This record gives sequence, C-alpha cells and structure tokens, in this order.
Amino acid sequence: MSYKQKSVVISLASHILVLAYFSIKLNQFYKAGPLVPSQVFRLWGVIIVLMILVNIVGNIIANIVSSVIQMARTNEVEDFVEDERDKVIELKSARNAYIVSSICVALSMLAFVLGQPALVMFNLLILSGIVGGIFEDISQLVMYRKGF
Amino acid sequence: MEKYHITNNIRKLRFEHGEMTQKDLAEKAGVTRQTIIAMEQDKYSPSLELAFRIALIFGVPLEEVFSYEPEK
Repeated sequence: MSYKQKSVVISLASHILVLAYFSIKLNQFYKAGPLVPSQVFRLWGVIIVLMILVNIVGNIIANIVSSVIQMARTNEVEDFVEDERDKVIELKSARNAYIVSSICVALSMLAFVLGQPALVMFNLLILSGIVGGIFEDISQLVMYRKGF
Repeated sequence: MEKYHITNNIRKLRFEHGEMTQKDLAEKAGVTRQTIIAMEQDKYSPSLELAFRIALIFGVPLEEVFSYEPEK
C-alpha cells in the first residue's frame, strides 16, 4: 500500500468518525426537543474543525508509524512521492464527490421547499459535505484497487 | 465504434534489461512502484510524457513498449 493509499484510508476513517459524532449529537438534539439555532451552528463549527484536525493528526501518526515499520522491515525510507496517477485519481474522485455533494445539497433545499425548518436544511447541508468526503475516499480506494 | 485499449510490454522489457526491478524503473521514470504495477496489469494508461520516458529508459521506440489494440 502506497503512502497515498494509506492517507486515503486515514481520511475515510476520520470522515466516518466525524459522521458518527455528528449523528450522535444530532440524535441528542432531537431527543431534547425542537432544534436550537445556536446549538446547530456550534455543531457546524465543531464538525468542520474536527474534520480538519482528525485528518491532519491521523495522517501525521500514520506516516510516522508506517515509516518506522517500513524502516524496521526493509531498512528503506518510506517513499512520499505523488505521481501523475495519484493526481488523476484525486481529480476523478473529487468529481465524484462533487456530484454526490451537489445531489445532497439539492435534496436539502428540497426538504426546505417541502416545509421542513431551515435548521433541518442546515443539518442536511453539513451532512452532504461529510457524505461527499466519504464518497471521495471510497472512489479513490476503488480506483487504486481496480484501476480506471 | 469499436473499443480500443492500451497494452504494454513493460514486464518483458524489464526482464530483457537485466531483470530491472519495478522499483528501479519507477525511480528512473519518476513515478511510484504502484504506478508501474498498475501499468503492467493494464489498469492504468500513462500520460504521453510518461510513455515516452519509459521508452527512453528502455532505449526502444514508443510502439515497442505500448500498443493500441481492440478490446477482446
């Protein structure tokens, strides 16, 4: 597994963790009664910061651990090269993520049009970002494994 | 329209060039070993620049490394 594939796996794990956190928090809000704007917007901020932090910290830890394992096993330094194939895979999966996110954003707008409160739309918007991120990571892994 | 795909002789050429390893070829071509593996398995078609670079490494014309054939 290349350095890029490892970082995609870390990104996928962090997106799933953030999605789990978001779902649990949202469930708590719904059980507590009607949605409160300040709580929802605070959750937005927490989710965005979490996505960045978990990804960065996860990548740093994974790179250190895999470098140590590689050095111990083969006595060679881990290769952190990114080539044209990595870039093409990144672009193609970003396109897939944009398509999924756009559909989710349209659905959240539709929910608003159909009479749901604005806070539901905002929750669906952040959800579309996380789902798009997960789809991007899965697309990358599939393209690395199966080719394109 | 008939579908075509790009195939290559990289594996054969590597062995004809002193059993060059995938890692050596990757380093000379400036790509990762995974990209060489993907090309050998016909899972990735390289850019024109990389294709020329690989042909140059083996010292053969481009068409001896890559061919464009109808899909079976």
